[in-house]
Amino acid sequence: MSQSVATARGSGATLGARPDATGPVIRVGDVHKAYGSIQAVDGVSFEVAPGEIFGLLGPNGAGKTTTMEMIEGLHPPDAGTIEVLGLDVRRHAPQIKHRIGVQLQTAALYPQLTVEELLSLFGSFYARQRPVDRVIEDLELGEKRAAQTKTLSGGQRQRLSVALALVNDPEVVFLDEPTTGLDPAARQGLWQVVRRMQGEGRTILMTTHYMEEAEALCDRLAIMDHGRILDLGTVDELIGRRFQERGVRFLRRDAPPGEQLRGLAGVTRVVEEDDEVVLFTRDVPATVGALLEVTTGAGTEPADLMIRRASLEDVFLDLTGRALRD
Amino acid sequence: MRGLVALTAANLRSFTRDRAALFWTFFFPVIFVILFGTIFAGGSSDYGLGWVDEDGTQPAAMLREAFAANAPVELTDGTLEESRERMSSGELDAILVIPQGLAAAIDAAQGGGGQAPVAVTIITDPSRSGTSQAVQQIATGLVMAANLQLSGATPILTVDLETLQTTGLNSVSFFVPSILAMALMQLGIFAAIPLVEQREKLILKRLNATPLPRWTLVGSNVIVRLLIAAAQTVIIVGIGVAVLGVEVVGNWALIAGFVVLGALSFTAIGYVIASFARTEEAANGMTQIVQLPLMFLSGIFFPLEVMPEWLRGIATFLPLTYLGDALRQTMVGGTPFAPLGVDALVLAGWLVVTLGISARFFRWQ
Repeated sequence: MSQSVATARGSGATLGARPDATGPVIRVGDVHKAYGSIQAVDGVSFEVAPGEIFGLLGPNGAGKTTTMEMIEGLHPPDAGTIEVLGLDVRRHAPQIKHRIGVQLQTAALYPQLTVEELLSLFGSFYARQRPVDRVIEDLELGEKRAAQTKTLSGGQRQRLSVALALVNDPEVVFLDEPTTGLDPAARQGLWQVVRRMQGEGRTILMTTHYMEEAEALCDRLAIMDHGRILDLGTVDELIGRRFQERGVRFLRRDAPPGEQLRGLAGVTRVVEEDDEVVLFTRDVPATVGALLEVTTGAGTEPADLMIRRASLEDVFLDLTGRALRD
Repeated sequence: MRGLVALTAANLRSFTRDRAALFWTFFFPVIFVILFGTIFAGGSSDYGLGWVDEDGTQPAAMLREAFAANAPVELTDGTLEESRERMSSGELDAILVIPQGLAAAIDAAQGGGGQAPVAVTIITDPSRSGTSQAVQQIATGLVMAANLQLSGATPILTVDLETLQTTGLNSVSFFVPSILAMALMQLGIFAAIPLVEQREKLILKRLNATPLPRWTLVGSNVIVRLLIAAAQTVIIVGIGVAVLGVEVVGNWALIAGFVVLGALSFTAIGYVIASFARTEEAANGMTQIVQLPLMFLSGIFFPLEVMPEWLRGIATFLPLTYLGDALRQTMVGGTPFAPLGVDALVLAGWLVVTLGISARFFRWQ
């Protein structure tokens, strides 16, 4: 997979060479948007490079969807500039819309049309088209091609809504919370679809509030809260900027008292969560050795011992002071 | 263009797969036509008439014979008292009283004397306006005919009676264009509901994320409404002609023109509703609020002439009054409420104003 991504990025495998393939595909500069007294987007700037999967991560109401829909040309920004494929969204929305694929958060479908009819209907709106059969294949909707959309399950509906974003063989794909409401297996399946899109040379801007999804899919991320971008970078950059330590985790049951843990070799911080203890350390072997010494002395052992680096969850907690949960 | 065709086809497909929409658009008006057709063309065109003969002479008996033979009435003899009782219990629709002195008056008149006319009294029930009107017309017509006959102008009598004979049919002829007007009104106003539904379900927003121009969306909706209007017209008029024997006397091009103008005007009213209704429920409520007064104040079910003055004043402003009037005139040669040009102008005026309002207030998301 990673190899095909690399070639696709280099040559634009299925899309052919684009005249503007070198500059950023999306450029957002100090964009603001207010709804009444609520400042939904409050000075957001970022760029998305060709072939990249760029994620907007944040809780509901952070301004991710509003930001994305302004880039899609659905709402005009109050202030700031937005360029897509080198074109100004305010002035060239129709041209841009021909070249982008959009999946909206709430699947919007004609209930009485079949999957196939709906896909060819949307295809007919575009100058360039991807054959409906291919799109049906992409999203594994073959079994449901003759079913009216009102009969689809939530997961099928979600896949159809992603399929609609591909009917025009777009250069840029916008996915708004594409896996919300999917079970873990279906979520993995959709990640594959997104990676395949990238493999075909498309650039992807997506929103999500799942840490796991952001870590698994996104080349770069912007973490948003209250209409602002709090930090931006690759997952490694975001974590590395704050946490050099690793976390040594184990169950609190039978654990030595906190005082004793704080004194162990290499430990910089001790965090006691619901039923877990996390020792942040710059020297994992020394800390684990000291821990085992203490527990063995007490005739116990640390249950479910696990060593991991800090996660995006920790980054979000550090940035906002609260946890990002569904 | 390709988008317009595809979207129109998709909208039509959605419509034909929506059983509720099909029912309200096609079967409901058909049921109306058949219902009214049966009521007005069927047995009840024979009105029950109480015959009170206070004269009891030969000419009075001849008058009774003329009524029994020529009018769609069933005569029941009795005294005034008995007849009044029968009328209150609903057996009779009206009472005709032949006063004493009829024969004497006729004799005097034929003898060349200038005697004052004898008044034949018709007693009707104003609470049943349709029936009492019809009976009044029949009785007046027959009395006039009798007058003519008695004064010796026989041929005119037959002509006059033929006209009266078609009164029963005329009710159906009155209702078929009315029901078509009602169906077109509902078709247009109910355009609000799928529109609000598509906005609520974010279908409009999703379409807005495609390069499809907005005029295509509106255009496709209007084309679909016009196609359905054409189908409704064919079905309603077809049943009127084939089943109920309504005779279409007007110019088909003119009829088609008013069907299109009417469908457009009411669709624009539907767009106004969609401009102000935020939810599908609100749109449903607003269509009812708009359609009910239109239905009952526009003279499509009751002739405007029987309405009180102030209601007629309201009717003068309603678009359905003019669509119904135009369709009655063009289809069955109904009595004009306004000249056809005025009908067209009022409908076009409504179209322009409501288009302006929806252009200003309609929200896509």
